[in-house]
Amino acid sequence: MATARSNGSLTGLAQYGFVDLDGTISKLDELVSLVGDSGRSALAALSKSASPDQALDFLISIARDNKTSVRKLLSKEESATRLCKLLGASTALADFVQLNPSVLSVFEKEQKLAGRADYLKSISQPTESSGLSIQNQVTSLRKAYRLELLKIAVHDLSATEATSVQPMVSTALADIAAAALEAGLAIARRELLDSADFGTYSATEVAATKLAVIGMGKGGAGELNYISDVDVIFVADAADDSLEASRMLEIATKLATRMMRALDGTNPEPPLWQVDANLRPEGKSGALVRTLDSHISYYSRWAENWEFQALLKARPMAGDAELGAKYFSAMNPLVWESTKRDNFVESVQKMRERVSGNIPADEVDRQIKLGPGGLRDIEFTVQLLQLVHGRSDESVRSADTLSAIGELSQGGYIGRAEAAEFSAHYRFLRVLEHRIQLSKMRRTHLMPVDSQDQRAIARSIRAGWTAEELVAYWSDVKLQVRALHQKIFYRPLLAAVSKAGGDTVLSSTQALDRLSAIGYLNPEGALQHISALTTGLSRRAQIQRQLLPVLLQWFSEGTDPDSALLAFRRLSENLGESHWFLRMLRDSSGAAERLSVALSNSKLATSLLELIPEGAAWLEDLKALQPQTLSDLWGQSESLLARHQDLNEFAKTVRHIRRRETLRLALGSVVGELNFETVSRGLSELSEWYLSALTSAIIESFKADVDHSDQNLDFGIVAMGRFGGQELGFGSDADVMFVYRTQPGDDTDKAQKSAERLVSELHRLVIDPQLQFEIDVDLRPEGKNGSVARSVDSYRSYYSRWGDIWENQALLRARMIYGSAELVEEFNQVIDKFRYPEVLEPKSVVEIRRIKARIESERLPQGADPKRHLKLGRGSLSDVEWLVQLLQLKHGNEYPAIRTPKTLDALSALVESGLVEAHDARVLSEAWTLSSRVRSAGVLWSNKVADVLSLDRRQLEGMSRILEYPGGSASLLEEDYLAHTRRSRQVFERIFYS
Amino acid sequence: MDKQRDFVIRTIEERNVKFVRLWFTDVAGTLKSVAIAPAEIEGAFAEGIGFDGSAIEGLSRSYEADMLAQPDPSTFQILPWRGEIEPTARMFCDITTPDGVPAAADPRNVLRRALDKAASMGFSFYIHPEIEFYLLKSSQIGPEGPIPVDRAGYFDNVPGGTANDFRRRAVNMLEQLGISVEFSHHEGGPGQNEIDLRYADALTMADNIMTFRTVIKEVAIEQGVYATFMPKPFTEHPGSGMHTHMSLFEGDTNAFYDPSGQYQMSKTAKSFVAGILRHAPEITAVTNQFVNSYKRLWGGGEAPSFVCWGHNNRSALIRVPLYKPNKGNSARIEYRAIDSAANPYLSYALLLSAGLKGIENNYELPSETEDNVWDLSDSERRAMGIQSLPQSLDHAIRLLEESELAAEVLGEQVFSYVLANKRKEWSEYRSQVTAYELKTNLEVL
Repeated sequence: MATARSNGSLTGLAQYGFVDLDGTISKLDELVSLVGDSGRSALAALSKSASPDQALDFLISIARDNKTSVRKLLSKEESATRLCKLLGASTALADFVQLNPSVLSVFEKEQKLAGRADYLKSISQPTESSGLSIQNQVTSLRKAYRLELLKIAVHDLSATEATSVQPMVSTALADIAAAALEAGLAIARRELLDSADFGTYSATEVAATKLAVIGMGKGGAGELNYISDVDVIFVADAADDSLEASRMLEIATKLATRMMRALDGTNPEPPLWQVDANLRPEGKSGALVRTLDSHISYYSRWAENWEFQALLKARPMAGDAELGAKYFSAMNPLVWESTKRDNFVESVQKMRERVSGNIPADEVDRQIKLGPGGLRDIEFTVQLLQLVHGRSDESVRSADTLSAIGELSQGGYIGRAEAAEFSAHYRFLRVLEHRIQLSKMRRTHLMPVDSQDQRAIARSIRAGWTAEELVAYWSDVKLQVRALHQKIFYRPLLAAVSKAGGDTVLSSTQALDRLSAIGYLNPEGALQHISALTTGLSRRAQIQRQLLPVLLQWFSEGTDPDSALLAFRRLSENLGESHWFLRMLRDSSGAAERLSVALSNSKLATSLLELIPEGAAWLEDLKALQPQTLSDLWGQSESLLARHQDLNEFAKTVRHIRRRETLRLALGSVVGELNFETVSRGLSELSEWYLSALTSAIIESFKADVDHSDQNLDFGIVAMGRFGGQELGFGSDADVMFVYRTQPGDDTDKAQKSAERLVSELHRLVIDPQLQFEIDVDLRPEGKNGSVARSVDSYRSYYSRWGDIWENQALLRARMIYGSAELVEEFNQVIDKFRYPEVLEPKSVVEIRRIKARIESERLPQGADPKRHLKLGRGSLSDVEWLVQLLQLKHGNEYPAIRTPKTLDALSALVESGLVEAHDARVLSEAWTLSSRVRSAGVLWSNKVADVLSLDRRQLEGMSRILEYPGGSASLLEEDYLAHTRRSRQVFERIFYS
Repeated sequence: MDKQRDFVIRTIEERNVKFVRLWFTDVAGTLKSVAIAPAEIEGAFAEGIGFDGSAIEGLSRSYEADMLAQPDPSTFQILPWRGEIEPTARMFCDITTPDGVPAAADPRNVLRRALDKAASMGFSFYIHPEIEFYLLKSSQIGPEGPIPVDRAGYFDNVPGGTANDFRRRAVNMLEQLGISVEFSHHEGGPGQNEIDLRYADALTMADNIMTFRTVIKEVAIEQGVYATFMPKPFTEHPGSGMHTHMSLFEGDTNAFYDPSGQYQMSKTAKSFVAGILRHAPEITAVTNQFVNSYKRLWGGGEAPSFVCWGHNNRSALIRVPLYKPNKGNSARIEYRAIDSAANPYLSYALLLSAGLKGIENNYELPSETEDNVWDLSDSERRAMGIQSLPQSLDHAIRLLEESELAAEVLGEQVFSYVLANKRKEWSEYRSQVTAYELKTNLEVL
């Protein structure tokens, strides 16, 4: 074996894997000076280590004090390799070796893994030698544990293929952890008898206290990492009746805390790991130790679903074996029963959320455990399959992930090829995690940033691997893991209907089980749709076979997966042949996901999509979901008008544009792209434009008409009510009045006739059977009996002579949306006098209050619950609006700032003018906004206008999703609505009636 | 859960049970029962028993009539008074909507929610009530008012009296139903008795109280007398209260106990008491839910009309009893306003939540009141900052209306139902011309 020097080349050193080439030459010299010629042969061994530089540094500093032993180790190739590999892969264990040189003997021979019993012996015996103080016992325990850890690491690093030994290594790690817990417990018992508490507790009492330590999570399942918290639960029992339960628990709690302290408390020898008991009943705030009965009663009464799922991996780990076994046999069945609980589907969704839970953005790409394509993804899929199929099939109930994958594959729930792939990826990710943790013995699941560190990790997994190769391979694994969930969970559903492909043919009952586990209410129907979508040889069917697994999952995350699937089938039948549709879904995951959200949460969007399937294209580009501006709309209608002479043809296109833009707004609000204000303004502007464009066209057509060509009608439209306030929701009526202006000398009769004819044309043209539009003109003077249009003069004389106070009140929200500048100004002048009177007579105030009270008792539909009526109900829209309007009538003259048709703007102006307390205004505007949003959400969800907060849970659930509540919030939405409106009513009553 | 279910099905077979009564409680606190045949029991466990919710007070509105009663197998008991001829059993039910969501208006669910909240803070809630009631000759009202079965007083032993037999039989039956009795004796009023139930967790206890009322009524019928839980049947005799001892446990240790605290009260206990004191007036419309309840609260004697606490002060709203040393686990506080006609589910949910609020927000416990508050003058009480409980149902309703705590704990739906229901009762009562008016006004005016 030639030395680097004799090679005379730095290239040679680089080939051995060193990074710091210059420095290495002198270091090698120092090594040779310490241990003689065997130092030279070390070069081969060093080259096999993860970081030859690091290994060499440690080798030198260890050799300084232990020349003989190091020389001996280096003289043989096998032992030299073992030593260098360890020193290069783990600074933490290298430090341990340096501090405890006696452990160097570990490297002399090949290290094999042992069983739990052997580990227990080697870890607990050193603590038992007589005369040791408790502190020294703890030190011995920790040192003994670390020695075993070192042996396991040596074995792990010596393996030619790290992934092949990973499961055994993980089991061994769990075994030494169990042994440490056991030894810690023994120390705790001795400590309790020794301590000042002795006398408080007699030896017989302590002996009669049985304590079992149940491992949760990876510890329980026997698949532990090099370093992680060990999750445990304690259960205690008295050996005989003479020991009173409360006293027994006192002792058991002392034992448990002392045991934990032995492992993670302060001591000259550093702590092993955190013993974490927070998964216990009631979490951090619950009692540390419970009796078995107390555990059982907690789980039978209080536990939430995820707590049952956590029990899947619970296994006795240390302490009283019989008690542990009793715990296991009492609790494990609960896991499988929990799947029959009503909210199982919901809890699965929560589980899913935890998987993709909150990861800091800068860590997403470095996460090995969490995040897309991480270990959690695999564990989630496996556990979900275990829960779905394990309740009827006891053979798939293993605690650890790899056994479970094997069992699921045996049982035919996962294809053999997929199972192999899945477990290979799992092992790789675990090895990666192990190597990263091993390096500094830190509890981390993050890929290091530094490229040298990455290189060391890469080399520790596979000889000669570079950092780039590792990262590339890992990215590939992540990608495949992400796809595997769909592949394993959803693809077999497709196979179940096609009976084709793969070796997993789920029976149809099993397929139905899976579909209902994820929330399909009518799994039979769903299977039929799946079959219709995927059967055949067409390109469409082919692409859909690829797409459907992921779509099925996204649908299931919405409120109504069944109808989403049906809607998708319809859409696909409509559009499937157009090339862009399937391409978009295949290539743009964002678009496909947004489509799923829209289909599973909104019947309005779904039905509009059926009319305008090409709207699906906007989902690809979020900008396309922004509402068009008024000027965009006008641009389109003006160029249309220039092209179309025929009024009816023009109107047809205008109607189409309105449907299209409504769809855009609906999609925008369902996928959460548009906020409530934007949608209301968008809808209001759309209606303004719709009426105005048609009116312009009618006026143009009049000009062409000989009978009317001489008449130049100055015509205007006044938006009233919510339309006036730009507060329209989906499905709102448009309240309007029509006005026209005559010049001195005009024929007033003729003008009136023209205006009436215009209005009736408008009424005819706005009708759209496919997307209803209603003009409501009931707010006009004389109501239903009044003339549909009036001149400005006629309005003036009506309001001054006949106008009721409520009519003046309605004028507060009048806003001209069409008409010449002169007309707008003249009309506003007329109405300002009435809506902002100099003095509001006391009798008018009384009258308004009376009308409000009468509306409350009369206008509510028969049998409707006032608390749930969104418009006229307790504390909802009309309460807030009437209150605002009363104040505007009273003070509008004096405070011009509060003159606005918009309710929310008026409220904040009222606060600024000191007319309403800020707190009251907040209560009112919250209730008003929530009522409006709930109303809109109801239409989006059901495609029906309803003024009553639904009692249907599913509808409430759907609405709450649209309102961006988390899943399962139906009751929360209901409570929120009732609470907000109740408070708003209190404010209303206080201000309005005083 | 499945084991319990199997146990129920097996027992029905073995004991040849002929009917199973499914029990639940409406918002007003009345026990409702539907009987099913053993053949239907499996179906009831799996899917619940459908019934028309609109027919039950406050449970639902007419247009969402369908409700499911889901029997809770852990509450299964054979009813002892049916004898062995046609054995009948009962189970309490949770009410759900057809899609399995707990019904907002199910009082049991209200209490469950409050207990969940406590559990999330690490507490379980235990209750030990002292239930008073009157035994009357019959439900007929005599010229002098109701006629009690005896003329005895507090702790009196009435030789050969009905009351002794009655209590023996009742206690026996309760024990057969798995309800342990701590204590029973003759109370202050003629025919008035008290039975104390051994402590249990709040949900079990609320179920037990509902069972208790039924047992007492059944035993009375058996013995040819009549039992009433009316809060104040006699003007001149004490009313029937349900003093309730409460404690919080953290796991298996009593969270109210601190050997170094005043009266061995822990910080938790003090904040809990402070919470109840602060919120007591606003929840009285639930703990004392009838017009008649206020006749007891303001009938003098030992009635707890004033918001204060004391140690062994028999006029205080909350009493911190003395217990034997080294019995830390029996540390508790006693709330004395609640009466025997309250809906236990709603009342306990509110009391618990008021106390927890005190713990969460670290309420300061006001100082102890050592005097008999009834003997103080109004101005003295004002000077000491002692408030009073509402003086009438009307007053209580007005305080309840403003209560965010009650709205939150009961849920908006039960909250508004309770209000509507009580307003109706008050307006019916107000329109009555009473015997008192006739006696004092008719001859004079």
